[in-house]
Amino acid sequence: MTGTLLYGGAIGLVIIGLYAIVARRHLMRNIFGLAVMESGVNLLLASVGYRPGGHAPILVAGAAPGPLVDPIPQALVLTAIVIGFGVLALALALVVRVRQAYGTLDNRAVARRLRAENGEARS
Amino acid sequence: MSQSLPAIIYPVAIPLMGAFLLPIGARRMAELAGLFGRIVVLLSFSTSLALAVSIWTAGPAVSAMGGFAAPLGIVFYADRLAMLFLLALNVAVFLFWPRGQGAKGGPCTLMLALLAGGSGLILSGDLFNIFVFYEITAVASYGLAASGRTHAGFAAALRFLILGSVGSSLMLIGIALIYARTGTLNLADLSRIAPHALTGPVGLAAFILLLAGLGVKAELVPLNTWVPEVYGAAPARVSALLAGVVSKLAMVVALRFVVQVFPGDGAHTVLLVAGILGVLAGELAAWRAGSLMETFSYSSIAQLGMVALAFSISGAAGIAAGIALALHHAVVKPAFFMLAARWRGPVGGLAGAVKDSPLAVWLFVILSLSIIGIPPFPGFWAKFLFLKAAFAAPSAGVWIAVFVMLAGTVVEAAYLFRAVLVFFADGERGGSTPRFAFAQLAPALGLGAVLLAAMVFIAPLGASISGMADEASNAAAMAARVLDRGE
Repeated sequence: MTGTLLYGGAIGLVIIGLYAIVARRHLMRNIFGLAVMESGVNLLLASVGYRPGGHAPILVAGAAPGPLVDPIPQALVLTAIVIGFGVLALALALVVRVRQAYGTLDNRAVARRLRAENGEARS
Repeated sequence: MSQSLPAIIYPVAIPLMGAFLLPIGARRMAELAGLFGRIVVLLSFSTSLALAVSIWTAGPAVSAMGGFAAPLGIVFYADRLAMLFLLALNVAVFLFWPRGQGAKGGPCTLMLALLAGGSGLILSGDLFNIFVFYEITAVASYGLAASGRTHAGFAAALRFLILGSVGSSLMLIGIALIYARTGTLNLADLSRIAPHALTGPVGLAAFILLLAGLGVKAELVPLNTWVPEVYGAAPARVSALLAGVVSKLAMVVALRFVVQVFPGDGAHTVLLVAGILGVLAGELAAWRAGSLMETFSYSSIAQLGMVALAFSISGAAGIAAGIALALHHAVVKPAFFMLAARWRGPVGGLAGAVKDSPLAVWLFVILSLSIIGIPPFPGFWAKFLFLKAAFAAPSAGVWIAVFVMLAGTVVEAAYLFRAVLVFFADGERGGSTPRFAFAQLAPALGLGAVLLAAMVFIAPLGASISGMADEASNAAAMAARVLDRGE
């Protein structure tokens, strides 16, 4: 039951994020979609290491270890969160620049201007 | 092998450390940033060279970080294939080091980060480390794409970033899938477990997800919408570096996955389909493109498609052909980009260029002949290896690959000769096209010289590449080297 909920939630988040990236034109919304999708992936990774009734994998002298959750996916999630944070910060910095340059954050309008500008540089 | 700091980590550690130190120093002495960065690259190149020499004489090197042996510890694995692309990356970073206005602290730092990330990518023997280094490489290339500080550069970088991050997230899902099925992330360990644990639709899904991540960098269809935007908007040196070498690193990692984790037919078919689409879409778009810069952006999609086609032929012969194609492209395409950066604008406006800059035009002709595959240039020999591999392992898919390859070559010849005809157009007096200063032509001339030298040394080069391919196609031997040490 918990497993279904975790995996369903993770995949749901990924799909919501992908939808926001693919179907929305506003660049800010695309970036929010990216953040949601990354959370989904992180939840998926954490769920992979989950064991029903498991404890944190810390061994204490004298105490018999019960079932433990798998620590490797947790280490991966930690790394992935940090990377995701960095990428998100870079994306926001670029959004500011794009907005200053073109005065719009409509992805299609930006793509059109970009194509035109690449063409201008050529002629 | 038990020394405290194995030589294998220097190619990653030195540029990474340099990338952290450079911005601190650049605050006080901005004009020295470029010099410092070049010294770091030279240092990293010399350690890579020393490592390569030891690997050529003593065989592949494995290192377990912190003294933990695989599969528990994280390993770096270096064979001759990895060293070839590691050296190519070092040379390319040095050759396309930012110049003039661009040589400030920021771009120099990003170049070092790109070098560190790319080196880590090629040396990692562990899925998650591959993801981390892939992200370092990716973030550095987003930054470099914007390093021209033009409006188009920022917009192209942002759109590149969004696509790249989606790809990385998909790759991470693939890694989670593989870990859930097998309980390990070590490539060598996976090569023993995966053939029976990662089969059927789950294995195929995992491979497609991983390829979706790598495909963004490797310019595979349909993840390459960023290619014309970024290569058009970024400084030419960045385009040359990304198209020439960084895309190949992703291809080599994909090859490692196919050999070690997904040896079944499914993964080969996926690569085949990606390659076919890449060649067709890339060549046709290149044929339609209006300017040289755009032409070469699209043709690089097609060239990487050809590498994917070669890797989709199972066995050492296909891998050798793929390495040869990738290496040839890594020499030729950056030179093309450096020429196209000067010859901007519609191709029609370049009529009579031969009178203004004969050296550049003749270099263009030689590069074109080689990339089309006219003997005796090295490009012919790379495509010949591909055909030889295809005839040695015939199947319906392989025949389609051969047909697509030849059709792509015809289209390639058509658009390149069209440009050459314009350069040699009669009745033009010249004087209307841009001339090259020597410094602008130098990197391209150097690459042209490498190409001509390769023509002379084609036999030893061929033997060396087929040895490399034999080594890289033998997953069992690789696993034994990583896992059975000291037994």
